[in-house]
Amino acid sequence: MGMQGDFFQLLKAQGYQFGAAGSAGHDQEFTTATTILAFKYLDGVLVAGDRRATAGNMVMYDRTDKVLEIDRHSVMAIAGVPATAYEMVRILEHSFKYYRRTQLQELSFEGKLRAVSKLLKENVAAALAGTGAVAPIFAGYDFEQESAKIYFYDILGAEFEGVEYAVSGSGSPTIRGILHYVNTWGDKPLSAMTEEESTVQALRLLTSAAEFDSATGGINREANLYPVIKLITAKGIKTLPEVDLKNRFEASVSRHG
Amino acid sequence: MYEEPYKWVEAVGNRRQYLDEQFKQGSPVVGLAYDSGIVLLTVSKGTPKLYEIYDRLALAGMGHPADLEKLRFNLLEMAHVEGFNRSPSDVTGSRMVKYGIAPVIKQAFEEVFKAPFIIKILLAELGQKAGKETFLVINYDGTFEEGSHCAVLAANKTVEQEMIKSLRAEPANLSLEQSVGAALRAWALGDRLQRQAAEADGDRERETSVDASSVDVSKLYAHLRETVAEKTIECAVLDRTQAGSSKYRAVTTDELGRFLPKDVQASLS
Repeated sequence: MGMQGDFFQLLKAQGYQFGAAGSAGHDQEFTTATTILAFKYLDGVLVAGDRRATAGNMVMYDRTDKVLEIDRHSVMAIAGVPATAYEMVRILEHSFKYYRRTQLQELSFEGKLRAVSKLLKENVAAALAGTGAVAPIFAGYDFEQESAKIYFYDILGAEFEGVEYAVSGSGSPTIRGILHYVNTWGDKPLSAMTEEESTVQALRLLTSAAEFDSATGGINREANLYPVIKLITAKGIKTLPEVDLKNRFEASVSRHG
Repeated sequence: MYEEPYKWVEAVGNRRQYLDEQFKQGSPVVGLAYDSGIVLLTVSKGTPKLYEIYDRLALAGMGHPADLEKLRFNLLEMAHVEGFNRSPSDVTGSRMVKYGIAPVIKQAFEEVFKAPFIIKILLAELGQKAGKETFLVINYDGTFEEGSHCAVLAANKTVEQEMIKSLRAEPANLSLEQSVGAALRAWALGDRLQRQAAEADGDRERETSVDASSVDVSKLYAHLRETVAEKTIECAVLDRTQAGSSKYRAVTTDELGRFLPKDVQASLS
């Protein structure tokens, strides 16, 4: 196992099971979410997600972190069943570290994409049974191509490159159209936006998603609750602090002072 | 042939003698705590001797590279499975050594029909808080010692004690730059004493003599100048201030050039 640097195989050899199908009860409501998005901006890729987790029409939690760092240059934003998504993130985090430490080199970006796809394929039974569907966005810096990249997946593990942007989650249909409009007919394309402009754009998009999708959490200034926004560049990952999001929201997003 | 107890004891004794002989030409390893982490340093001929094991764990070895690789993989598998199944906080150096590789090394050492591990290992663990750094040193027979502040690997106990003495004589809370200098001087001392011992004849080999000239700084730098030229200074840190969960970082040659104190730089140039 060690020679191949494959942590997932090592886990399986030790009896670990991932993605086993379970049958959902008729009245069972599973915790799901979400609106997540990623787009390319001037310096790299911006990845953002709201904070709400719901089960049916019940809000389960309003401080969920759906944009998770896998390593120093990759991020996975999760949409779907959090229990499965968080487990996938834990496996990937350990897998990438294990590969780096055993093989004494970073796993290639393509290798990382395959790892995400492989986990989703292992999870197909649970996804189809209705107990573990996850449709993530994976973004990271590809050092071979010297550019930041975005990929999105369906629940069966099919992998698609988001050349300019990608969205997922229940609120995504709303903002997909907006992204297309802004990118095509806006003042400038997304890829030409500065860090500040793209952050404002992400806040506006998530606010719009929350307007039309009850499973997407909006911005709650009283509770100091803002989305999670991360920026990926060749230098690594930067998480925007809440104070910056607050200032940008108040200056360029809020219409009620 | 080894059924009789005294023959087994004799075989183990022979094995100890054989292993001691193997380490005579080895390059010492130094581990030293500094104000925001741990620095590990050695001088090698190209085969790496310093490795990342887990978020706060680093490995340094002296001995046969193939044996080091085998034990490194054992540690990596154990640490990552444990960290995944429980928590990264449960992956401690002490558990990795006591329940992991020390028994494996001991078993290999005592199974006289099989080859032993030609290896000495230093496992460094960055504490959650400053001043809580831990060093575990495992000998080729599986015995291990736990300590704080500093630890070394060298050919024999006398050399190790002298190296430790020189590291303990350094002031507390060194900066990274100062600790690299101190580690390099300790390495030079250890290497010099090992060479002196190897040059001495049979009986005197076991009693490494340490006189004042051995620890003279200018002589240590002269020794470095002679020995480091055709080799590589390998240096890594476990840095508490590093962003993210992984705290290990190999110090690059450029960085090392900047870290080396001016007096050391001058002696190496």
